[in-house]
Amino acid sequence: MKLHQKGFLLVELSKAPSMWDYQLLEKVFAEYEQHNDFREKTLRIALDELSAAGLIKCIENKLDTVNGKSKLLFNYQLSDFGITRMVDTGLLLA
Amino acid sequence: MASNAVISPNLTQMLHKHYARNQRWGFMWALWTAILWGAWYVPGTALWSEHPYVDIAADQQSLRLAATAVMTWVHAITVFIFLLLWNMVLGKVKDYGRTMVRFSKISKWYALASLCGGPLAIFGSYMAMGFVGPVFAAISSLFYPVIGAIIARLWYKEKISKRAAIGMCIIIFGGMVIYGPSLFGEMDATNPNAWLGYVGGIMSAIGWGTEGAVAGRAMDVSDPDVGIHCRFSFEILFWGLLILPFLATFTDLPIKSLIIDTVTHSKAMLWIVLAAACHAYCYTAFYKSFSLIGVGRGEAIGNLYAVFALIFIAAFTLQLPQWYFILGLILTVAGSFVMFSEPAESVAQLRDNEPALEGV
Repeated sequence: MKLHQKGFLLVELSKAPSMWDYQLLEKVFAEYEQHNDFREKTLRIALDELSAAGLIKCIENKLDTVNGKSKLLFNYQLSDFGITRMVDTGLLLA
Repeated sequence: MASNAVISPNLTQMLHKHYARNQRWGFMWALWTAILWGAWYVPGTALWSEHPYVDIAADQQSLRLAATAVMTWVHAITVFIFLLLWNMVLGKVKDYGRTMVRFSKISKWYALASLCGGPLAIFGSYMAMGFVGPVFAAISSLFYPVIGAIIARLWYKEKISKRAAIGMCIIIFGGMVIYGPSLFGEMDATNPNAWLGYVGGIMSAIGWGTEGAVAGRAMDVSDPDVGIHCRFSFEILFWGLLILPFLATFTDLPIKSLIIDTVTHSKAMLWIVLAAACHAYCYTAFYKSFSLIGVGRGEAIGNLYAVFALIFIAAFTLQLPQWYFILGLILTVAGSFVMFSEPAESVAQLRDNEPALEGV
């Protein structure tokens, strides 16, 4: 059985020193074969929740222009607390 | 928040907008919790006027508690159906399955949250209502955000700013002003069973306060819409596989006939369906607010249910609340604004386990 999506986001982030949000979203879309605007917004909220809880931290921001509109992008990194919580919840081996 | 680069004014502005939007959504979910929780009291109270519940005399305490257990179980099943509908629309049913199966590491926290919120808090609240009175039950429940905030602070270092703490105190004080004056008419020093009611009041405050903090731990790594679905799945199992079979086997309480009478009476079921609709989406909003503004703030704004309950009851019964309701209303709204006036960037990082955001 596949991982739940928030768990998958954390696991993918744990494999790299840091990752931009759009790169993470592409990985989720490929894994779960879902790609639409609603799904993207849901996943961005999940990243905001992970960041608010301190499991991941944003190390860089940039603005991108999509269809003439500015879009905020985040470069995320797993925090030490995030690693601890992943070990606690079986998402990462100690 | 970027620590390594010079941030352009446009980027700073966009970041502020982003955090302000998240903060607004968090408070909006918490406000929906309060509105729907308040609305829940109308069908929840009306249910006691229908067969089989209306036939149980007020002094038959054990039968009333058994009826409450049956009512809560049927209610939890109906809530589960509403949540299934919600997650089907959101496309999260598969994620629900993926989260439920990880019991030993993740969903066990939702099981514990369901024990805190169901058998401990709801049962405790009914004990407080039955052995002391509804006003005492309402007042004792008002203190649950304090318990939730303290546990969240000690357990996973949730930040409670001075402004959030002041807002929380004002909201609780406002709730006490709304219900407090009626309490004097309810306390009866000659009642030998009153201590059971006080224990129940403490159980409800501890139960609901602990539920938020325990569920918050599981929501660190899982989705709140899915989390609340897991929590109600476990509540159904606790009542249906443990508590009700135990009562049916070891007591002479008519559990089976209470269940059959409830589900075969359309009016009782109508109130249960309405109550469950309110409760399902009230709880969904509750859990969603925790992820965005934290357990302490989410629970404190949720406490505005005291105001909405009286407004809904007044609307349906045409009985206007007392004058001191207006004073309580002003206080609770003022408390909410104090909390909402916190900088959005401060709410964007809820815990003390990382360095604070730049500029905060």
